[in-house]
Amino acid sequence: MILPTKGEPVIVQNITGRYGRIHTRMMLDYGTNIAAGATPGKGGQSVEGVPVYDTVAGAVGKTGARASVVFVPAEFALAAAQEAFLAGIKLLVVITERIPVRDELTMLQLAREHGASMVGPNCPGLIIPSQSLKMGIMPATAFSPGRVALFSRSGTLMYEIADQITRAGFGQSVAMGIGGDPINGITAGECLDFVEGMSETEAVVVVGEIGGDAEERLARHIERSGHKKPVVAYVAGRHAPKEKKMGHAGAIIYGNLGTAESKIDALESAGALVAMTPSEVPSLVKQALAHR
Amino acid sequence: MSVRLFEYQAKEIFRAYGIPTPKSVLAHDVAAVGEAFRGVNHPAVLKAQVLAGGRGKAGGVVSVEDEDAARREASRIFDLAIGGEKPESILVEEAYPHESEMYLSVTLDRGERSYVTIAASAGGIEVETLSGKVIRKVPLDGIDRAFAGDVATQLGLSGPQASQFSSILVALEKMSREKECELAEINPLAVGAGGRVVALDAKVIVDDNALFRHPEFAKLHPEDEFEGEASREGFAFVRLGGDIAVVGNGAGLVLSTLDLVGDAGGRPACFLDLGGGAQQDRIEAALRLANRLPESKRILVNIYGGITRSTDVAQGILAVLATGTVKPIYARVSGAEEEAARAMLSGSNVKLFGTAPEAVKAVVDAA
Repeated sequence: MILPTKGEPVIVQNITGRYGRIHTRMMLDYGTNIAAGATPGKGGQSVEGVPVYDTVAGAVGKTGARASVVFVPAEFALAAAQEAFLAGIKLLVVITERIPVRDELTMLQLAREHGASMVGPNCPGLIIPSQSLKMGIMPATAFSPGRVALFSRSGTLMYEIADQITRAGFGQSVAMGIGGDPINGITAGECLDFVEGMSETEAVVVVGEIGGDAEERLARHIERSGHKKPVVAYVAGRHAPKEKKMGHAGAIIYGNLGTAESKIDALESAGALVAMTPSEVPSLVKQALAHR
Repeated sequence: MSVRLFEYQAKEIFRAYGIPTPKSVLAHDVAAVGEAFRGVNHPAVLKAQVLAGGRGKAGGVVSVEDEDAARREASRIFDLAIGGEKPESILVEEAYPHESEMYLSVTLDRGERSYVTIAASAGGIEVETLSGKVIRKVPLDGIDRAFAGDVATQLGLSGPQASQFSSILVALEKMSREKECELAEINPLAVGAGGRVVALDAKVIVDDNALFRHPEFAKLHPEDEFEGEASREGFAFVRLGGDIAVVGNGAGLVLSTLDLVGDAGGRPACFLDLGGGAQQDRIEAALRLANRLPESKRILVNIYGGITRSTDVAQGILAVLATGTVKPIYARVSGAEEEAARAMLSGSNVKLFGTAPEAVKAVVDAA
């Protein structure tokens, strides 16, 4: 995964939609170079001063962008992803929620075939405060440049915890949403690999939730990879009922698979410091940094 | 909401895909069960149609020899509450004498990020406890008979049984792919005295995000009044049975708030996620729903502002208060203009808190 640096061009797919428009304004305000937008049939228009093209290929041709943020409705997200990869996009951030699982699996397969990375779907995107780079919908006020890498399956919980990390004076080197669906592009393990080589990152905070086995896999990855950076984790859903989707398509416990207890146990065994509430995270980060 | 089908609905789809099932008739009352019994071979099995697990242990499945017994047992089953769920119908099915049971499913393996087929030469029990499972990744574009035949061989099947098994696996995978199922499970898959392989039970969960491509699944379940309203509003909503309605913006944030309430000894009445944004009209609609929920006595609101201004949230709360009696609201609203929001709500029966743990403590202590 290669993330853009300060000033590098980024495009927005479905820039003319309600959310595409609002968030293009906010990404521009943050200092991100939203160089072009793409919406079929809307070529020639402009949104917040950003030129719109009919196709991703058109937007890429004009700007040389290699990164794109997708606000395309779920029904058309697979086609949008395919178009982006064919046009040479190497980092696709998919904000869209409610994409069918089979389409997500196909998007993932396409990303692999094209040597591209996909962040999400159903995620708030990513932000690198030191680079004034924001490819997503997170409120900028919660984030500040700093030493903690933050990865989360949930959007608002990521903002909440980022805000507390900011208030505690640590700030974020990078913050990224993994996604609330059963299928994620970038995994938490891949995020950890990414920040292992990122000198400004001194600690990692992972925000998980019930459903699936992403946290258990992350725990095994921590044990096997021998990564050195301390990991602080929080897992939401200790009091959630079984067999109910708790808002996110991926947040569901089947039988004994996907319980918060299993995730917390696995992460603790792997040496992560696990917070029981979001407000405990900053003090555990402090503790993790003190032990370095 | 995930869409789980009743057994009878799943079996209708099985039959459409050529998966053999015993003859059965659906009945909605005792008289209809009696009539259905006369229409199938005896003995027959009465099966409560519920979505909750543990149906057999709860007495929801019983074999009957004659019509009197069928009526008597039907009347008992209709009075059961299986995992809190009252059966609205009973499937009257011909008993299928068999010598052995297998397990077969096609399901999403999230960690492997692939569909898989799971098969075992013993069945009838939970998949987690099955030993000697054969697990194979299923390509996105489907499997062929050779793939299915390999699975049959690995299970130790041969001859006509291997052939029947292969046909069933090919059909089940095709169904799972075309109907976009998260899970398509046959447990047990029975081998009868004559060697015929038949699906005795059927469990199907379809991907609710794919419903726009499957209008046939749109109206499968009678919805709870509140779930229906929440889904029309675009809220994620789960009824939880306690007395504190929990409302917030963002699934993870609400989930984490449930944990705070649970840790403090409180019992949530619902999980209500009004979505990432938190505009005034959304807050208003969410609070109205939480206020009408009969079992909720107090309402806990946890809004992480961010892009939303706290004053917009306060406006939404005031709009609801203006419409009449509202249950006590305990709110944590962070974000821009917090002080102004606090001033707007002073003098109302809304209590504002700076942090989620403070709001949670207050709402739980108020009991």
